[in-house]
Amino acid sequence: MKKTMFSALLASLICLALVVAGCASKGGNAESQAPAQASGSESGGGQIHIGAALPDFSDKWLSYLQEGMEKYQKTQDGVNVTYVDAQNDASKQLAQIETFISQKVDAIVMVPVDTVSAVDIVDRANKANIPIVVVNRWFEGVDKAASYVGSESITAGVMQMEEVAKLLGGKGNIAIMTGQLGQEAQIKRTEGNKQVIGKYPDMSIVLEGTASWDRAKGMALMENWLNSGKKIDAVVSNNDEMAIGAIMAAEAANKADGMIFAGVDATPDALEYVKSGKLQVTVFQNADGQGKSGLETAIKAARGEQVEKNVYVPYELVTKDNVDEYVKKWE
Amino acid sequence: MNESTVVTEQKLGGRSGPFTLASLLSRYGMLLVLIALMILMSLLTPTFLTADNLLNIVRQMSVVGIVAIGVTFVIITTGIDLSSGSVIALVSVVVATLAHPGEYPLVLTILAGLGIGVLTGLINGTIIAKGKIAPFIVTLGMMTAARGAALLYTGGRPIGNLSDSFRFIGQGSLLGIPVPILIFLFVGVVSYLLLNKTKFGKYIYAIGGNEQAARIAGINVDKYKIMLYAYAGLLSSVAGIILTSRIASGQPTAGTMYELDAIAAAVIGGTSLAGGIGTIGGTIIGALIIGVMNNGLDLLNVSSYWQQILKGAIITTAVLIDSRKNRRK
Repeated sequence: MKKTMFSALLASLICLALVVAGCASKGGNAESQAPAQASGSESGGGQIHIGAALPDFSDKWLSYLQEGMEKYQKTQDGVNVTYVDAQNDASKQLAQIETFISQKVDAIVMVPVDTVSAVDIVDRANKANIPIVVVNRWFEGVDKAASYVGSESITAGVMQMEEVAKLLGGKGNIAIMTGQLGQEAQIKRTEGNKQVIGKYPDMSIVLEGTASWDRAKGMALMENWLNSGKKIDAVVSNNDEMAIGAIMAAEAANKADGMIFAGVDATPDALEYVKSGKLQVTVFQNADGQGKSGLETAIKAARGEQVEKNVYVPYELVTKDNVDEYVKKWE
Repeated sequence: MNESTVVTEQKLGGRSGPFTLASLLSRYGMLLVLIALMILMSLLTPTFLTADNLLNIVRQMSVVGIVAIGVTFVIITTGIDLSSGSVIALVSVVVATLAHPGEYPLVLTILAGLGIGVLTGLINGTIIAKGKIAPFIVTLGMMTAARGAALLYTGGRPIGNLSDSFRFIGQGSLLGIPVPILIFLFVGVVSYLLLNKTKFGKYIYAIGGNEQAARIAGINVDKYKIMLYAYAGLLSSVAGIILTSRIASGQPTAGTMYELDAIAAAVIGGTSLAGGIGTIGGTIIGALIIGVMNNGLDLLNVSSYWQQILKGAIITTAVLIDSRKNRRK
């Protein structure tokens, strides 16, 4: 008897699932892939041709990086940039770089899809004597590239913590929520936090734990911390998602008032929380600036000028005072 | 009837069956471990044994606990389901798009979420049963594909702005008890009944005990396997809905590694990877053991590095004690 009911239930659910799946495929992935585009003027001697390999044209943050490059390109005479989209496929990116190499471009700008295969890609460019500039995503062996342009993770941790220290008047109990253990951003951002805390004798780390960049895990960790009986003045998180999880947990327990929360990334969700005053601090990674510096460095390298091995683009602190500026960036 | 003869033999052989002495003892054994852990944590920190914190532990474990119940069914038949975490993510992003305020009725949103879970489960089950491919491989494929589908659906971004009625599922309370706990209990009771009071349950133990014998006895093994994976998928989607509501956001990266926590809970709870043995009560206790460990280690502010080592050690030790006890008996 129960079995037939069970089958009937399953059958009805399947029908429904099919309907939903139909809707979903219509709704999802609406963004069509833009074709690779070449821009800039084609004529004239002394033209510099630069190949820009980006991981994903549909990624919002990366689109700002590309915009930064395009804006800078317009200010430069005789610079021709070809943008290609790897659609988050590392092998596609490799093929695109190979095409750049066979076209004998003067320099390559790459935001790697995958930081493991990137080492090999850099090697290939080096063998062809084409300077390659790696932007945004750091990896072990990036020093073989002509230059690395990005932001230094430790700085995000320092900026975030300094603002929290300011808000707390230099004293209080800090809980640090870290990302996936062992990742560069987790290690460096946390190190930055601790450097700052070390400067204030009245500030101490009372709790530290990982929530693997995840909102649900951040929420669970915070719930446990709230039950630990330890007094928490500020939760400093390696990213915004975990910070939001912590805020939700604290709100559910009616303990959010007077507690300071800080994240990194300035995601659209996080900016909403900053706007409503629940998240006090977040840190924005400057996409526009990274794109501009990336192209600038590549042009210099193409002209045979000396370039810096590491070009660091500063992070920007986001608080309630300047949040609107950043909300606009995501629109 | 041939079918029931096989089932009875399985029970007499002491391999399975919810009411044999062996399974009762094994359930009892892990209960003792749970109590011992709780006493230990209470001694180590005064903040552990409070009503608030205990409710908190059960609420936190309800998502993984529900997945673990589904995976218990699967493991009893010597199968495995690695896709649960990714199915949670896929359900999460789809229900989140349907749960914007004033768009679709709540019931439809929930049914859609459940439907996706059942569908992925049916695909798993059909390929496993009809294609005769190892469950490990099939569900590994689904794990990868469902995660990919979730990422594709959202372009990698989280989906926010969920209606209050939807948020109630994960954040609300009825009579002072958080809704996720109530759903966990409901799923536990229904699954207990399914496993112990229906033909479906009996056949599952029979298939797990000896699939060949079950086939010879005339049990439609393929059909029950498909149903079984569909049920596991259904429970993954229940977990996905709760998780999405709890964090008020549909996330393509949600549920990462939950499948392993769920399998650990089932195995700690006495479910045998060799098949034929496993109980719902045991799995719930297994999930609570993991929950108490996570919570206690957080309360004590044990370093995250050490937490992983300790958790691994405790899981292995618990199962080791359990298996030795069973062997002695």
